[in-house]
Amino acid sequence: MFRRLKIIGALGLMLFLALIVCAEQRFPPPDFENGYQLPTTSTPAARHLWLQYGDTAVFLAALGLAVWLIYKKRSRRWLFCLSLFSLAYFGFYRRGCICPIGSPQNVVYALFNPNYAVPVTVLVFCFAPIIVALFAGRAFCAGVCPQGALQDLVLIKPIKVPLWLEHALSIIPYLFLGAGLIYAATGTGFMICRYDPFVPFFRLSGSTFILTAGALFLLIGMFIGRPYCRFLCPYGGILRVASLASKWRVRVTPDVCTQCQLCEQSCPFGAMREPTPPGTNPKWLTAERRRLGWLLVLLPVLVLVGVWAGSKLNSAASKVDPAVALYERYARQQIKPVQYSAMSPEALSLQRAAENPDATLKAARDLQHRFILACELLGGWIGLVIGLKLIALSLRQNRTDFEPDRGACVACARCFTSCPNERVRLGLMPATGEPASL
Amino acid sequence: MSKTPLRSALLLTAWIAAFFCLLVGGVMVYEHLTASSNDPWKSPQLLALKEKLAASPKSEPLQNEIRELDLKYRRQFRHRLALDRTGAWLLLGGAFVLVLAARKAAALNNAPPRPQRRLDDGEHSRKLASRARWSLAGVTVVVAGSLLLIRLANTSAIPGNSAVAHKAPVEDVPTLAEFQTNWPRFRGWDGSGVVAWDFKSTPAVLWHSAIPLPGHSSPIVWGDRAFVSGGTSAQRKAFCYNITNGALLWQRAIENVPGSPAKVPDVPEDTSYAAATMATDGRRVYVFFANADLAALNFDGSVAWTKYLGPLKNPYGYAASLAIWGNTLLIQLDQGENRAENSKLVSLQGASGRVLWERIRPVPASWATPIVGEAAGKMQIITLANPWAIGYTFPNGKELWRAKLLENEVVPSPILGGGFVLVVSPSSKLIALRADGAGKVAQAAAAWSTEENVPDISSPVSKSNLVFTVTSGGMATCFGINDGKKIWETNLDTEVQASPGIIGDNLIVLGQTGTLVTLQAGRDCHETSRIQIPDKFVASPAFADGHIFLRGMTNLYCLGPVANALKKP
Repeated sequence: MFRRLKIIGALGLMLFLALIVCAEQRFPPPDFENGYQLPTTSTPAARHLWLQYGDTAVFLAALGLAVWLIYKKRSRRWLFCLSLFSLAYFGFYRRGCICPIGSPQNVVYALFNPNYAVPVTVLVFCFAPIIVALFAGRAFCAGVCPQGALQDLVLIKPIKVPLWLEHALSIIPYLFLGAGLIYAATGTGFMICRYDPFVPFFRLSGSTFILTAGALFLLIGMFIGRPYCRFLCPYGGILRVASLASKWRVRVTPDVCTQCQLCEQSCPFGAMREPTPPGTNPKWLTAERRRLGWLLVLLPVLVLVGVWAGSKLNSAASKVDPAVALYERYARQQIKPVQYSAMSPEALSLQRAAENPDATLKAARDLQHRFILACELLGGWIGLVIGLKLIALSLRQNRTDFEPDRGACVACARCFTSCPNERVRLGLMPATGEPASL
Repeated sequence: MSKTPLRSALLLTAWIAAFFCLLVGGVMVYEHLTASSNDPWKSPQLLALKEKLAASPKSEPLQNEIRELDLKYRRQFRHRLALDRTGAWLLLGGAFVLVLAARKAAALNNAPPRPQRRLDDGEHSRKLASRARWSLAGVTVVVAGSLLLIRLANTSAIPGNSAVAHKAPVEDVPTLAEFQTNWPRFRGWDGSGVVAWDFKSTPAVLWHSAIPLPGHSSPIVWGDRAFVSGGTSAQRKAFCYNITNGALLWQRAIENVPGSPAKVPDVPEDTSYAAATMATDGRRVYVFFANADLAALNFDGSVAWTKYLGPLKNPYGYAASLAIWGNTLLIQLDQGENRAENSKLVSLQGASGRVLWERIRPVPASWATPIVGEAAGKMQIITLANPWAIGYTFPNGKELWRAKLLENEVVPSPILGGGFVLVVSPSSKLIALRADGAGKVAQAAAAWSTEENVPDISSPVSKSNLVFTVTSGGMATCFGINDGKKIWETNLDTEVQASPGIIGDNLIVLGQTGTLVTLQAGRDCHETSRIQIPDKFVASPAFADGHIFLRGMTNLYCLGPVANALKKP
């Protein structure tokens, strides 16, 4: 045990060192004084179209393979191999881009900005996992998502998160999703991508903040299975909802559930749900119905309170936008000048603002105005998420067997071989002629 | 569990991998730390050489030395980047081996779970749901609290933002009586050029003190200090004098204003870079130059804040003076040669320099100074430019009315008198305007107008039911303020650019060649005194503390009763 802790500690230290040295550096331009004009920074050419289609084909093939491995082959080993391939291909080779996690932002940005057209590849990456989730659950999370694969890889000693806490924290991805989408809609930027903690590892470069966040997620991920997927990933939130309506669902046992709880212990993601007793205790029924009624009334109130609270946040929220941030810096510079290095990004931006302060102010004001509606929508969305989650927690569930929660299950296939009946089916245990039971 | 050879091998592999990762990571960190001291952007060696180069810019050996050192550092930087990349891949490989070995070792050490039986009678599920709801409420409180903190901590510099108003620094403002006692802006606290105290005896120069830089701005006075500005294309300064003895207390160069280009616009000598009169709110003095550099200086001469308001397009150079009311500074930034060239009226907070609001004005360049005062029962800001006289609410700056009355290049500033706004269309008309209209008011809003002896540069001055004007040719005229009828006129035999003022019952007119004429400010034309000062004057006089302050081309003069005359310091 002590040795294991030392190994984990060493790994943690290594990650900490890695994030320091990998922190992105920007090299200052030469200090030319002879009138030499620096060449204009050019954007690298887009990836060739056939390569983009190739990526899409690989993605769809991986998605299909994941579904086959989960439902037909029922193989954790092969699914793990697929996730390693996805980590290598979509992670380190494609450097985390394109990736379905950030793709809803492209779609929303296109909806609010007529000058932007979403590429077909982005649409496929965005909607294919959702469509698959509607039929077969979170197959994307199981074997195709490089972020998920990385977290799966470092999981060494899983610790159960109490289910009540799991429920409470499961709303955070939706809040992140809402925030990411309003920033995309206003044209501020793709925050979900900017704050993806694992992409800097794929690119071997990134800001110290994100590298630190990524290292922390990996450290936590040694003990808590897929912390990012469960408690932050906005795309995981979408797939969670889509999976609730999935046609097929992951079944632990191919036969009768023995209720041995081995599957529950095998799941590191807290997705296994225990059976509920048949019928309803009459002494609780009235209180439960009354609570549900109050929560249904509370739902629109929460939405309205959220809209009101959101309307107060537009100024603060808009500061993330470069146009607003530029004017803020410019205005503060007028009041309390700060000496920036020559040709530093700050100095250059101030120079740009000083050339036309009125236009800078107008751009900032326009953006701030756009944020009024965006923040109201975000506030309403937060109220809706909290209200719906409270209602969901007050609805009675009927389960006769141990089974995975459709939304929470990432279809990793760990639980399959934990089931005695599955082991019998695979020939790992001797058959007794009847389904194994306690 | 007993150690199996496989588990031991896995643990050993994990240890080796961990050691490898630490080694690689350590080397990378060491490289990172040592290389950062050779950053060409911050290297003390390189910075020292650059300073040397600034002292002798033509030194070829020095230039070469800098180039070589710069190149060396850049090569080192590229080398370090390559090392970082290799190291990152090595680190990744090591981490991969470490994780796989540690996972496998941990798996071997794990005891397989044992089947359990749990009978849920529903109580467990109920408690779980209850806890989940409470924890969700807790998460909601945390989220709401975080958003509240963000909201409370938010300050925005964007004008009109309520969060800023909430955070705006609050400071005490001198009373109206203090403003009236002093001479805080061009033509006094209300821009009228009138003070109530009397000046019985013939004025005489008490002291004069050299002004180091030229300028046409008029002096302002607060307490025991007088302030003037001066400037050239090379430097622009504010000067502070002790009004008791004329000692120059401090001078402050306004330079390195953020955003202000090094090359200043060309300004004719007749206007000068320091034509705009300074202003003060008793806490700070404000100075504005033709290159659009605005600065607030504390009374000890230190810079409170600076701001660049340009670029300004003005064919003769910017000359409108700063207006102040309370701690609100107003600048009429009219510019260009047609009516759509970014002219605007700007309001700033004196303490911080923050722009409170800006109003776009459909006018070309003008040189008149705005006034603030009560007209038609409202506090108004009144501005003049070709062709519009415009009234704005104070302090919000909402346009109340505008009247198309003016022609030519508008220099004379407006005044309030007899319930009218008195405006001068240069060399064309003196107009008495009712300021009670709304929107675009017709010319009928003018109660009267006259075309006799209309000045083109100096502003009118009014007392009781009279209004006085002085043309550039020296023709002083008195009109009845209710009907605009001429009461008297007299030729002062001197050219005049400074605006006249009134001290008690005395009309003070300062000629360009240094003739200071005192006339009775009444219905009868009577010259009471005339003295000569050997200097050239275009700036308007300031009246404060029982003295007259004049800004000549080279000196600041203080005039008072002869008995108080002091020697030059």
